[in-house]
Amino acid sequence: MSATTPQSPIDARAEMLSAATWLAKGGGSPGGRAVTSDLSIDEALLLHSIGWEPVELVFGVSVTSVPTGVWTWGRGEISAASDAHNLAVQAAAERLGHECATVGGYGVVGVRVSVEVRPHHVDVALVGTAVRPSGKKAPVGRPFVSDLSARDFVLLTSSGWSPLGLAFGASFIYAPRRAAATAIRQSGQNIELTNLTEALYSARESAMERMQSSGLGMGAQGVVAVKITEGPMSFARHVIGFTAWGTSVRLEADRHVYLKPDMVLPLDDAVIQFEAQSLRG
Amino acid sequence: MSGPSDVPEAAPRRLESGSFSSGLTVPDFAACLQMGLRPVGLVQGFCAMQWGWYGAGSPYMRGVSPYSSPGGGQGGYSQSWRCPHGMVSPDHRAWGQNYEQTWVEAAWLQGFGSAYGRLIEEAKEVGAHGVIGVVDTSHNLADMNVAEFHILGTAVVVEGAPPPPNGDPWSTYLAGQRLAKLIEAGFMPISVIAAIASVRVWAYCMTEYLMEGGVGYAWGQTGSTTREIEQISEAHLAARSLARDHARGQLGSDTLHGISISTTEREVGAGDQVLECMLRGTRVRRFKDFDPMPAPRPTVRLS
Repeated sequence: MSATTPQSPIDARAEMLSAATWLAKGGGSPGGRAVTSDLSIDEALLLHSIGWEPVELVFGVSVTSVPTGVWTWGRGEISAASDAHNLAVQAAAERLGHECATVGGYGVVGVRVSVEVRPHHVDVALVGTAVRPSGKKAPVGRPFVSDLSARDFVLLTSSGWSPLGLAFGASFIYAPRRAAATAIRQSGQNIELTNLTEALYSARESAMERMQSSGLGMGAQGVVAVKITEGPMSFARHVIGFTAWGTSVRLEADRHVYLKPDMVLPLDDAVIQFEAQSLRG
Repeated sequence: MSGPSDVPEAAPRRLESGSFSSGLTVPDFAACLQMGLRPVGLVQGFCAMQWGWYGAGSPYMRGVSPYSSPGGGQGGYSQSWRCPHGMVSPDHRAWGQNYEQTWVEAAWLQGFGSAYGRLIEEAKEVGAHGVIGVVDTSHNLADMNVAEFHILGTAVVVEGAPPPPNGDPWSTYLAGQRLAKLIEAGFMPISVIAAIASVRVWAYCMTEYLMEGGVGYAWGQTGSTTREIEQISEAHLAARSLARDHARGQLGSDTLHGISISTTEREVGAGDQVLECMLRGTRVRRFKDFDPMPAPRPTVRLS
């Protein structure tokens, strides 16, 4: 997304001089409640362009126990681990939403999701910025929680859609073992390990199904920006974990609004981020 | 360090040498000049702090007893849990506490504050209006119970502007286009802000049990084999919220922009932990109203 080109070019020098002079002459605070936000200035400007503003940096955390013994060899899905994951995610998201409502936010954007599965507990931490329509104080209904960036939030709402919440699903399975005789018979062959294919396929589908179910439970029509992680547990290499999450969305307008994007061929360097760490070699 | 000035003898010589050094990248340097900011020197501040002894016998010792005053009566966060089982054995953890280690936070703030003060002092030496592109680090020096704080940034002069209030330069983690956009959006940087929260978890029996893989129900109860470890969840939430509130305490009614937040945890026993949350951002103040922003126009990049 880009803002419409202004009528006259911005005089950055005059703006800076004006700001520094204002401060030198004792420019004071505007009064009111302080705002905290982890949004970039681009994101803050984009939010402002659709009449929204940041309110507060908010958190949701949950640590859930996993009983001893669930990671040892077995067959099928490890339901205790999946349950612990789901419980932790739900509790963390609920706290995030509650904190958002407490500070008068309508929802949380740019939620950073951190999930750590450890031998005896699953840790979930969600951090994002509560936002609201500019000047509105009292939220209406349940706040939404979204891991979409403010940029994506602006695009989504401009298209007539609304985020509802984080949809999550997880599945942990034991990598199935073959019988010794089968392993010997198959050694050295180009052959599909059907037991492994089926188990992994099934676990992936289970994780995604749970994610979609959690989205449907919120009244969503779909889930966007789905992220999928998969791989063996570092502490139990014979267990493979699958997680899937994304932002559940619903069409609020009568129909999807087509935004007709313009083609742009940029002439600037794509890397504009300040990188002072280079000072340290 | 002592004396009227905290900066080393070499610093004024370097800063008065007639040339400038800068930590800015070339694009940021160009953006800086475009805004009428003239770099006048790479300025920095250091502080090496020895951590005090917080163990048995220390005046800082807190939380070893459910009857002591967690937070040392310094207004810190504290929350307690009691064992649901009654008397089991003398070594059974009948109580648990989460509490804020205000003395650790104070030591960290002292180190950061000293380093930041020296950065500002160097910036004053060169007559700067502000310091942009600030970077700060803190790490432990090898095996010495000593932490080093280092802050550096590029001192700049705003061409044609009067001196900053009280001669104290403003500072920001931003530089280049991001700083230009901040100003254009109507915000003036005031100072970098960093805050830390340190929360100690003394696990009670259920937390210890669950963190070590115990099944998730208390004696006599049945139900799911997993459950939330409430004491640890609360500690994590508290660490983050306290760091935010400490930063908020330095804000007045300004805005803390572009926050970065990081959390570390250190296990010190079965279920016992120290959680530390660090939060950084730039305090900004509105100096003009937002110009009405045109609606964003969606584009597709061809590169």
